[in-house]
Amino acid sequence: MSNVIKKFFIASMVMWIAPVAVLYGFNNHLFPGTSQLSSSSKTLLSGFLAVISVNLVIVLYIIMAMKEPTNREHQPDPAFLAQAKSSINQPASVTTSDNAQTHKKTE
Amino acid sequence: MSSSWSRALTQISPYTFASIGIAISIGVSVLGAAWGIYITGSSLIGAAIKAPRITSKNLISVIFCEAVAIYGVIVAIILQTKLESVPASKIFDPESLRAGYAIFGSGIIVGFANLVCGLCVGIIGSSCALSDAQNSTLFVKILVIEIFGSALGLFGVIVGIIMSSQATWPAKS
Repeated sequence: MSNVIKKFFIASMVMWIAPVAVLYGFNNHLFPGTSQLSSSSKTLLSGFLAVISVNLVIVLYIIMAMKEPTNREHQPDPAFLAQAKSSINQPASVTTSDNAQTHKKTE
Repeated sequence: MSSSWSRALTQISPYTFASIGIAISIGVSVLGAAWGIYITGSSLIGAAIKAPRITSKNLISVIFCEAVAIYGVIVAIILQTKLESVPASKIFDPESLRAGYAIFGSGIIVGFANLVCGLCVGIIGSSCALSDAQNSTLFVKILVIEIFGSALGLFGVIVGIIMSSQATWPAKS
């Protein structure tokens, strides 16, 4: 269960940090070649790249979540299971002989 | 100076409209995202009592709702970089008013599109959790519906970004 929470937490953090980092990079000229763009195309490019980065994180999280194996139900110990099965079949003779003796006593 | 409604409306500073637009873009988007998350989250936790295996896959619905809030944040950051100061003589120029209204419109577009998108994804996610608890083959089919629902918020964000990109204030000269 904690593995699930860890993956979810990391995905959420990256989902916040990635688009804000993209916008910060565009506005403060951290990416090469962004200085000579006009203001409107800078807005368009930074906005669309940020939205694409969010969707990329979502797709990666969906892939990670679908790949997880479904938790199998708790399997009983096979040795114990075999012993229990044999004990059902075996002492039918033992219990009937006991009953016969108790019947005699009560009569 | 005759007083009339049209005069009153055009004498409101464009910065008012721009700031309200930015506030609506983040505020109403987060409202939609929170609504969706609490609807999905309460169903998910309740259904996971009897079927604990559903939690890992159904957190996808919560991630979709959270993406809606992030769209609101992205557009709010973009819009506030579009706010520039103009000298007081030019504050009621048509160009200036246009920029203020464009930012306002962009904020409203994004805010309300994300509001209904978050609500939609939240309700679908809640049914998804409940039906996955019963029959795990249904999950992928309901996820397809959820992807369509989350595309609604995406439409709003795209139009909002395009609209805000042409908000230019008059030059400072």
